[in-house]
Amino acid sequence: MAPVIEVRGVHRVYESAAGYVHALKNVSLTVEHGEFLCIMGPSGSGKSTLMNMLGCLDTPTSGTYLLEGVDVSTLNDDELAELRAMRLGFVFQSFNLLPRATVMRNVMLPLIYSDCPVSEREARAVKALQAVSLPVEYYDHRSNELSGGQMQRVAIARALVNDPAVILADEPTGNLDSATGEMVLKTFRRLCDEGKTIVLITHDPDVANVADRTVHIRDGKLLTDEQERALIAADPTTRSNT
Amino acid sequence: MRVRDLVYETATALDSNRGRSLLTILGIVIGIAAVIAMTALIGGVKQSLVGELGLNQARLVQLYAWPGRTVTLDDLEALEELMPEYECLTASSFWSFEVKNETKKFDASVMGVLPSYQKVSGLKMAQGTFITDENEDKGDLVVVLDQNSVKQLYGDPNEEVVGKTVMINNGSYTIKGVTEATSALMASGGTVYVPYSTCATRLSGYWGVDDMMGLAREGANMETIADKTRDTLIDYFNISDDNAEDAVYVYTMQSVIDELNSTMASFELLMTAVASISLLVGGIGIMNMMLTNVTERIREIGLRKALGARSSDITMQFLLESICLCLVGGIIGILVGYFGSFALTGLAGGVFDVGGEGNTIVPAIDMKSVVMATGISVGIGVLFGYYPARRASKLDPVESLHYQ
Ligand SMILES: Nc1ncnc2c1ncn2[C@@H]1O[C@H](COP(=O)(O)OP(=O)(O)OP(=O)(O)O)[C@@H](O)[C@H]1O
Ligand SMILES: [Mg+2]
Repeated sequence: MAPVIEVRGVHRVYESAAGYVHALKNVSLTVEHGEFLCIMGPSGSGKSTLMNMLGCLDTPTSGTYLLEGVDVSTLNDDELAELRAMRLGFVFQSFNLLPRATVMRNVMLPLIYSDCPVSEREARAVKALQAVSLPVEYYDHRSNELSGGQMQRVAIARALVNDPAVILADEPTGNLDSATGEMVLKTFRRLCDEGKTIVLITHDPDVANVADRTVHIRDGKLLTDEQERALIAADPTTRSNT
Repeated sequence: MRVRDLVYETATALDSNRGRSLLTILGIVIGIAAVIAMTALIGGVKQSLVGELGLNQARLVQLYAWPGRTVTLDDLEALEELMPEYECLTASSFWSFEVKNETKKFDASVMGVLPSYQKVSGLKMAQGTFITDENEDKGDLVVVLDQNSVKQLYGDPNEEVVGKTVMINNGSYTIKGVTEATSALMASGGTVYVPYSTCATRLSGYWGVDDMMGLAREGANMETIADKTRDTLIDYFNISDDNAEDAVYVYTMQSVIDELNSTMASFELLMTAVASISLLVGGIGIMNMMLTNVTERIREIGLRKALGARSSDITMQFLLESICLCLVGGIIGILVGYFGSFALTGLAGGVFDVGGEGNTIVPAIDMKSVVMATGISVGIGVLFGYYPARRASKLDPVESLHYQ
């Protein structure tokens, strides 16, 4: 079976008024099924750029990206949208729930863009909400009535509801206090133990502890744990958790 | 994305913006109201005119042909078969006889008519009933007078005369009914109607048809019918082309209606101008609101795209929103226009010089103008909603998600 994610020699260059920004430089990365990968790096190192690419929201300037063995660069916009609807789950730092809609409606949102039959939607949303252990009494609450931790769990349920190949989380604990953050991380850990593939971005080394594997990114380049340790040993001021 | 999802999204979006939405659709409301008020008033004026002329005058066709032989009731039947665009054709024959009762007498136009004559001509009964199929079949000695004749015989046109008898050509006829005085268009010194068969057997001894009239089906184009009728008559009676001009006669009330229409055209122009301007302003208002909407919801759009919405899903969502806005505006406009037109009836009556003498104009709205108004609303929704919707659908998901 092909790895869930296979990135080979990817570059991403932004053109801006100030000139070219090389956000990703020759990045190669493989994520296997059921793996919990953590990507760490300081601010501006290219984490979100990488994540957007993995999530098919952005395309590499050069290099190839295979999602479940499919070369994403061969797909058109609608096929990419379909991929996002069916195979990818997103969790954002700022939750990005529809504030006026109920929890259930928020969780069901990706299903309206997938081929999931209307009759199955509620059952799948409930299953996803159970998986993030949100108490039943909140299902009909509007999402802006929830606490941050509850919101992020709803967001994780939303990412889960399509049974995606991989859940991509960009600093999911960034807006939470440490206790709630920990609860959210435990949720991810448990989902991984149940067989989900997770890629999580953070610059908090404590967060990285829950992952199976951590890669570091600096100035758009990926480093293994060992390379990172060597770097820090040489110059402790360059730690990534600034 | 399924239709029900689209509808749900639209309903929630509009619901959360109720106040602003209502203000925005005001232009559409006024425009559509103007369109509807205009058509309702024109319809009302037309109907009131038709009321004055007789209910079916607009659909009435007078037709006749001189083929060089006697035209008979068999010809009438054959023609009726040939021209299904008529609800019915009827025939009459004209004679002149002295009509008298115990005290008075006068020279009347006596018409032998088929029972369908009343329906086709639109004659209204003041008393009693018109000649029936049974009267025709049996050749009954019955007569229907018009109010002029009643006046001649009894002094008072409103005298109760049903059941009394009059003498025509030495026969005694029972009065079945009295028709209302015919309008000025059909002035006469006194007409009496007897069954066609009675007239042929008892009075004239002649079965020939002197005149034919047809009632076209509702909604038919009178001009087309007149042309077709002319052709059918020429064909049926084998009339040569150079004779056609003189030997065939087809006349509709279209000319009267045409005249009315030209008067209305100026009124229509005024209202159309008002409607177009407010619809244009309304449409721009809709576009402005939709653009604001898109800007306010950039993050939501980014999120939806990240969750798998295709560009077309986003386009549809925003397009449907503007269509619904316009549709609601259109529906409110239809209601406002319809009820508003009642307030304007007095004005219209003055302008067109109809509806006097207790014959008030009642605004008449037909399904066609409602459908048209609805269509216009939807059209505006599409026209002015398309640009904002496309703009929303083209937003880059990454940038939108981080839009502050
Ligand atoms: N749309 C863009 N246009 C130009 N440059 C960009 C754009 N997006 C990102 N960059 C640049 O690319 C580099 C990587 O940005 P990215 O957002 O991936 O960093 P990050 O690791 O996610 O940082 P943070 O931890 O602060 O979120 C930065 O130098 C940034 O300025
Ligand atoms: Mg980032």
